[in-house]
Amino acid sequence: MRRVYLDHNASTPVHPDVLAAMMPFFSEQYGNPSSIHSFGREARDAVEAAREEIARFLGVSAQETVFTSGGTEADNLAVKGVAWARGTGHIITSRVEHHAVLRTCQALERAGFAVTYLGVDQHGMVDPDEVRQAIRPDTILVTIMFANSEVGTIMPIDAIGRVTRERGIPLHVDGVQALGKIPFSLRGLGIDLLSCSSHKIYGPKGIGALYVRKGTKMVSIQHGGDHERRRRAGTENVPAIVGFGKAIATRARDMAEEAPRVTALRDRLWDGVRARVEDVRLNGHPTQRLPGTVNMSFRGIEAESLILALDLKGIGASAGSACTSGSLEPSYVVTAMGVPTEWALGALRCSLGRSTTAEEIDRVLEVLPAVVERIRSLSPAAA
Amino acid sequence: MYSETLIDHFRVPRNVGMMRHPDAVGESEDGNCGDLARFYLRVEGGKVTEARFQTYGCGPSIAASSLVTELVQGRTVDELDGVTPDAVEDALGGLPPDRRHAATLAVAAIRAATAHYRRRRAEEVRRV
Repeated sequence: MRRVYLDHNASTPVHPDVLAAMMPFFSEQYGNPSSIHSFGREARDAVEAAREEIARFLGVSAQETVFTSGGTEADNLAVKGVAWARGTGHIITSRVEHHAVLRTCQALERAGFAVTYLGVDQHGMVDPDEVRQAIRPDTILVTIMFANSEVGTIMPIDAIGRVTRERGIPLHVDGVQALGKIPFSLRGLGIDLLSCSSHKIYGPKGIGALYVRKGTKMVSIQHGGDHERRRRAGTENVPAIVGFGKAIATRARDMAEEAPRVTALRDRLWDGVRARVEDVRLNGHPTQRLPGTVNMSFRGIEAESLILALDLKGIGASAGSACTSGSLEPSYVVTAMGVPTEWALGALRCSLGRSTTAEEIDRVLEVLPAVVERIRSLSPAAA
Repeated sequence: MYSETLIDHFRVPRNVGMMRHPDAVGESEDGNCGDLARFYLRVEGGKVTEARFQTYGCGPSIAASSLVTELVQGRTVDELDGVTPDAVEDALGGLPPDRRHAATLAVAAIRAATAHYRRRRAEEVRRV
């Protein structure tokens, strides 16, 4: 059975060029970048070349880029790093952030910080005016994601950045889902910190980065050696960093051409489902949405059974974020958008990527309606 | 993640659908996740001769319901009191910790059905 992978927001396959770039750094160029000898210098050069690649893509300087173990650590470093540099104060975030931000904010609340969790509209958007109204004299940080992983909605980050810039408050943006999928440059955007991840853009897992604008007051949260200009201790994950750099270079080359193609496939999927299945609705913004993300709710179905049934047909999709798919509550993101529980429980996320084809979408359109009908027929709501 | 038995019951659920004029109906809803199971029983000579189910929920809840309809077949109503969540879980080949509710839900719905049966019997006896 040929399988169809529609879970690119959870993770992606490593691009062949990325894998090829990484390989020598496992066995041949194994030096520690902190070592002075030639083995170390070779590793250092590779790390710095990758850093340059990422900085160029973001439109920032290499010194402003800190490698981390992934998006979650980048979020932790940004939010805790800025908070602990002040020691006390108020943080503004939204109810639809990734758990890496939400639970970090909750931990800071327990440590005495105040946090405001802004709501979102029916499409999952944060209103920049609500950010402005939530600002207090002791506000030390605003943290809002660039694009939502579950529904794909792209936030009005430039408008939010104008508000924070005007008030002189640092803005952290979780850019994990937006990076390499939609074009943006940090030059001109009011972003002070941006979290990035490699494995969402065909790079390896276990590596990410945090952009920290020069002059941003923060402390490190992981202590040890002088790595990463003392902002993140620990020997650099050289092969992964090289892979991340190559993944970014690949996105810089392919993104513009790929986005319209993936967007068209995304719309082919939604239009096809809508035409074939009754009682289905789209979650997320109709247009201001990531190219590959379709989140749809099927009434009268619990998404877990739908995912299992699709999996048995070789189709990999998800309910909400991969991190919470073990939980049985409806998605907090979809719920925050005001979607009624009976619909929220049936929210299915399909996330497309560079390898997704029209044939694959058509296969899903062939399988999905029957699967939905079968599961609905098992329910007490069936006639 | 799931056993072959569980997948089999999910893929080809046994005894699905409503029953006309059942001798007992019972349903149960999981307050946390919203899963809902309903059983219909046909009882002849004190024994279950037919059981059917309708369930809204995750794969394991659907599979547990299907399995329970087989488990209760041919047993007396009193014997159904011996069907426990652990027994259902074992028969399903195990459940992940966050899916244990599947067995609890199916057993609670069966309990509701046997309670309904006994209520109806008591009413019939009073009428006689």
